[in-house]
Amino acid sequence: MDKDNSSRKLVLGIDTGGTYTDGVLLNYDSREVLATHKSLTTKRDFAIGIERVIEGIAIEDPSEIRMVSVSTTLATNAIAEGKGKRVALLLVGYDPELISSFNMGARFATPNYYYCDGGHDLYGREKQELDLPGILDKINEVKRDVDAIAISSYFSPLNPEHENRVYEAASRVCDLPIVLGHQLSTRLGSVERATTAALNASLLAVLQDFVIAVRRAMENRHIDAPLMMVRGDGTLMSDEFASRTPVETIHSGPAASAIGGRFLSGLDDALVLDVGGTTTDLALIEDGEVTVSEEGATVGDYETAVSAADLFSVALGGDSHITLGREKHIRLGPERVLPLAHLAADYPNVKSRLRALARRTWSEASPEWLEYWFLLREPEDSRVLQSAHAKNLVELLDGGPKPVPEIIEHLDVLHAAQIGADDLWRQEIIGKAGLTPTDLLHVEGRYTPWDIEASELALQVFSQYQFEEPDEIRDRAWRQAVEMIVHAAVTFLSKQTLAPPTEGGREKDDIARWFFFNSVYNTHPHLETLFRLRESIVGIGAPASFFLEKVAEVLHTDLILPEHHEVANALGAIAGSVMVSEEVLVYPRLDSSGLEVLGYYVQTSEDRKDFDDEELKESLAYAKDLARERALGAAIRSGADNPEVVVEMETEGLDTYRIRAKAMGNPRLAR
Amino acid sequence: MQLVGVDAQRAHELVWEKITTLELPPGAPINEQELAEEFDMGVTPVREALKWLAHENLVDVTERHGLYVADVNVEDLQQLSEMRLSLESLSARLAAERVESDDLVVLQALRKEQASVTPEESRDLFDLDHRFHQAVAKAAHNKYLAQTLERLFGLSRRLWYLALPHLELLPASVEKHLDLVEAIEEGDADRAEEIMRKHVKEFYDEVREILEAQK
Repeated sequence: MDKDNSSRKLVLGIDTGGTYTDGVLLNYDSREVLATHKSLTTKRDFAIGIERVIEGIAIEDPSEIRMVSVSTTLATNAIAEGKGKRVALLLVGYDPELISSFNMGARFATPNYYYCDGGHDLYGREKQELDLPGILDKINEVKRDVDAIAISSYFSPLNPEHENRVYEAASRVCDLPIVLGHQLSTRLGSVERATTAALNASLLAVLQDFVIAVRRAMENRHIDAPLMMVRGDGTLMSDEFASRTPVETIHSGPAASAIGGRFLSGLDDALVLDVGGTTTDLALIEDGEVTVSEEGATVGDYETAVSAADLFSVALGGDSHITLGREKHIRLGPERVLPLAHLAADYPNVKSRLRALARRTWSEASPEWLEYWFLLREPEDSRVLQSAHAKNLVELLDGGPKPVPEIIEHLDVLHAAQIGADDLWRQEIIGKAGLTPTDLLHVEGRYTPWDIEASELALQVFSQYQFEEPDEIRDRAWRQAVEMIVHAAVTFLSKQTLAPPTEGGREKDDIARWFFFNSVYNTHPHLETLFRLRESIVGIGAPASFFLEKVAEVLHTDLILPEHHEVANALGAIAGSVMVSEEVLVYPRLDSSGLEVLGYYVQTSEDRKDFDDEELKESLAYAKDLARERALGAAIRSGADNPEVVVEMETEGLDTYRIRAKAMGNPRLAR
Repeated sequence: MQLVGVDAQRAHELVWEKITTLELPPGAPINEQELAEEFDMGVTPVREALKWLAHENLVDVTERHGLYVADVNVEDLQQLSEMRLSLESLSARLAAERVESDDLVVLQALRKEQASVTPEESRDLFDLDHRFHQAVAKAAHNKYLAQTLERLFGLSRRLWYLALPHLELLPASVEKHLDLVEAIEEGDADRAEEIMRKHVKEFYDEVREILEAQK
């Protein structure tokens, strides 16, 4: 125990990004990075990529690891791809006419929602008697067709009695997991709360499986340490908490990046730009903390009540597909492909085919020939090969990567979209390769892990087709990338909309667009316009150094690229604090006329205490103590070491007070 | 360690299910390695789960010959039935005295569901019967009683599967439940206790007969 070596505290941070899963091993006290590891993200099952990182990262003595923390896009991804489980949502006391007249039904994140009598009013008084028999009948009717139940009762944050009663009764008639709205959100927005409850219910099993897989991988490497997960606002929670509230992990990846950027740069105020393979994510650090969005997080089409970092994402990264858009406009993204340099390094045949392509005349060498499809793995499940096209395609690609025009001809279709290969991409059975910014870096000799010649040939073909010099095309592509990122920064910070750069056109009568373009390209002979960013830019992610120099120049600020910036996202997963916030509401108890205040209620998510008239002061003091105690207890249970509590109070009008206690501390390390 | 916890828990559930449904019959040898392979997990969590099951009297450990599924004998049955008879009766009595309106809604819903299940769906019927007894215990508002009954019910499950091929109790027990809900609703503690006692006693009498016939 007293040996020097055994007192080292190491922590392992893991981030699953759109392209790569990164791992970093850190000495917690000295903040020294000891090892890093990168593995491709496996979208079909994130746990596989994480297992590879845990297996692959250099660890001398696993017993020195005191914590593992993971940020994951699992929840976001599962929602976007409809991989969540089936949920029955019971809306207690919601007005069906109101919901349908505003067409809000589609926002509930499940098609199976049912209206039931019950609910409370603005003062926490029972609005309508709870129809428990009707609710149990409904549950009996649907319980075999769903995997989980979500319950949201009208004004449940003010009075969760009906949700709690339904929970008690429903858990005695079925074994399905049951999620209650008031436990996830104390905000009053009833639709967002219902959506959050439904999403949480649909993600329970998904996240539980994930946690088990990560724990298994840890076990295989003999890592015996607490496992933490990153929330959407960058704070940490224990894996047990995460298994109950998976919806809180929405957007945890980008939030962790921002925290990693702050951790490495040491800056309290900065714009963090995380350039990945697929996207570039923006977040703002103010006074040492990631700014949190005032509205709840939005994921796909759903607005939730989940607190998440204020983030902005643009579909541009090192592996963005460079294609030819309308009027020979160069397009970057939104699709992510394997760089041709990489493909050619894996399949030498591709290089010789590119050589042959470069010798053809321009009309026979259109940029479509630069897009290759290839087999990533054999399909395990033959059901995905049910269509004849899918089957033929897999057979064809079994012989090696093929360019798209050849595939189209072989399958006898007119357009690639007709092949219906979406499922095969999503399940990562086939992959796409093409010209990317990473290839341009190979040509320039700035970043050359793979086949330089393949990149040169591809750029040559792409340029020839437009009768341009390769250098000119490279310049244009980089300018385009800078423009996209500056556009993202300006719209993110100003909260104003401006037509995105890819939609071209410099309309003469649009001063906003003119101002933007003139600021980026400085073309006007007399008028100089410019954006000046007050904070420095902290660049993170592997390609950051190549993309961001010019961006900082255009925004007239400095670019800071801290050491280890390429794994800042994984560092962010361990640099965050454990945080738990608890709310207590104080609101008046009225007489039946609704005019006279009889006393005050002090409401927590579990129960309610009654105070007599004239006792507002006492009830507020009691509520503050209660909130502090609850937050402290929950933070300790969630793995915080010595948490500090801050209590805030705000009034909501109508004599209603919201007391919020935030308990925050460093994660408690093992032993 | 927590990982073992997760897997051991799952292993416990799976083996418990196998033993109580007689997929692993009384006296059958248990092979840890095979179970671990079948569940796709390590041997450690399976071993952990088997320890718990031994503690719950469902697995026997012998020094020489390893692990076996515990035997079922008439003596065990006798002791088990004594406990359940008196505790289930107490549960019904307290329920009649303390039932709240939400408890009644649950009991009614379960009874309604029972009525809609056909006798062929024997497993569903058993699970519903289990839920019903749980709901009565809940209505008795005594958590220690509920916990104790839950453990005893788990042990009875194996007996029930053993008797199942010969058992004709179930439709009758549905009737009993109806009477019992009525008695609880009316607050008639004596009647509730009596119905429950009879209901549980009939079950054990029947099982005993079957076991003795099989000897």
